[in-house]
Amino acid sequence: MEHGHTVFEWGLLVVIYLYTAGISAGMFATSAFATYVGGGRYRRIARLGALLAPWPLALGLGMLVLDLGRPLYFWKLFVTIQPTSPMSIGSWLLSLFMLVAMINLILWLPRPWRNLIKFPHSRADVRDRLRWQPLTARMVRMGRGVVAAIGFPLSLGVAMYTGILLGAIPGRPFWNTPMLAQLFLFSAMSTGVAALLLVAALWGRISDPHELAHERHMLVSMDVVLILMEFFIIIPFFLHQALNTRSSAESLNLVMGGPYTALLWGGVISLGLLLPLLIEGYELYPVALKEGAVKYNRLLGGLSGLLVLIGGFLLRYVFVYAGQLSHFLPVLPR
Amino acid sequence: MTTNLKGMLTHIEPPKPNPQAGRRWAFVIEPDRCIDCEACMVACSVENQVPVGHHRNWIAHREKGKFPYLSLHFEPENCHHCSNPPCEMVCPTGATFRREDGLVLINYDDCIGCRYCMMACPYDARYFDEDRGVVDKCTFCVHRLDAGQPPACVETCIGGARHFGDINDPESEVAKLLARHEVYVRYAEAGTGPAIFYIMD
Ligand code: SF4
Ligand code: SF4
Repeated sequence: MEHGHTVFEWGLLVVIYLYTAGISAGMFATSAFATYVGGGRYRRIARLGALLAPWPLALGLGMLVLDLGRPLYFWKLFVTIQPTSPMSIGSWLLSLFMLVAMINLILWLPRPWRNLIKFPHSRADVRDRLRWQPLTARMVRMGRGVVAAIGFPLSLGVAMYTGILLGAIPGRPFWNTPMLAQLFLFSAMSTGVAALLLVAALWGRISDPHELAHERHMLVSMDVVLILMEFFIIIPFFLHQALNTRSSAESLNLVMGGPYTALLWGGVISLGLLLPLLIEGYELYPVALKEGAVKYNRLLGGLSGLLVLIGGFLLRYVFVYAGQLSHFLPVLPR
Repeated sequence: MTTNLKGMLTHIEPPKPNPQAGRRWAFVIEPDRCIDCEACMVACSVENQVPVGHHRNWIAHREKGKFPYLSLHFEPENCHHCSNPPCEMVCPTGATFRREDGLVLINYDDCIGCRYCMMACPYDARYFDEDRGVVDKCTFCVHRLDAGQPPACVETCIGGARHFGDINDPESEVAKLLARHEVYVRYAEAGTGPAIFYIMD
């Protein structure tokens, strides 16, 4: 906003960047979780998550650099640490996360591919490339555990950062609440799970119906919890904003009667949260009532994933755009 | 920060001159004297070669009162060179910095054009210079200050609404105005500590 006429300085590229960073963080976290729980029962999900996690973020980082006024100078971010700048801390955090996610990817590559990558196994071997060996099964097992443990908090940090980037700015009342970090965190986790739900439904068959039921049960219940958490944030978000300063209260008009009303209520909340919640509830109710295994059919399973992904994108879209229109209001004498 | 009798307009305790603290450049503006001729905007654009379509200063319009007792007031505005500038806090490269004398400036070599500072500024004082790929804004005419001259907008102002000087110097015009008048700043609740003081009408 520049004195009356609206200029969106941050546009679609930033939306995509925040969205993809969230998906990557969510996929990594889900994969790390699946590595640790279930005693190997969820290996397929752990592997899928590990193999896919770095790519959305890689795309998003490309968008971020392209969005800069001087893309060739992006390295200036990495010659300094500005402790009061969420973007500075976030850039370092993202790079570290990317590194960990790439290592995780290598560790989860199918064995024949993994064996193509060789490492020196002792100090003496470093100079002699011929003696380099692929990772042993034991090293891989340990590595996966360590990387999952290090990467899990990093992925939560990345997901929260996408919200803090907007939420830490006092000048934009629509953004300026700590709840934004939580909302983006849970939405990121949910989109990560949803991406895996979608990919798992589209790709690969599991012959053992037992295994399939376990896998669906875990993913779907995770997503249900995450979606519920989003509701627990959206409701107090509205209450707090409405009861806060006049500037905050009026900023809600942007999504209640203003230009982003339909997108938020129709897109984000109905299509992206309520509908997938219904579908997932339908999948889960036999388990909840102890009547049998998860109901699963490919179409519904894939659809709920797709809806959550669309909703997550719209959520970022609404917030990035609406926030830029929100503003302090002058206090006027009467 | 206190509230006046009518309970609507927040005014602030005007800062006392503190000669030990060194210079603090600031504006004291008399909205009463502004006639919205926008000569200051022209002077600034010429002086600073501001790209077409952008402005470093502007006149905010304020409607006061309720029908039929309405009046229109003008508040000349530019970057407030905040004491606690959010634009500087969020800048990821350190390109935006604050000088000893209170000026908030941009090191254009370090600016990568991420525009985070534009999100952070509550006054929308910054613009994106598409040609150079960097963000820019009012500098209080730092090149003129360093040469001992007042900012171009102050020199041009026809109504005499814009006063500029060092509020830490008790002898300066602005320090005297601050001592004599009740003043307010814009968005005091943002905690930015702006250095443009408006005299109550
Ligand atoms: S008015 Fe805006 S640009 Fe100027 S110092 Fe304050 S926050 Fe920064
Ligand atoms: S656009 Fe330039 S001055 Fe503004 S925050 Fe980014 S690097 Fe700093």
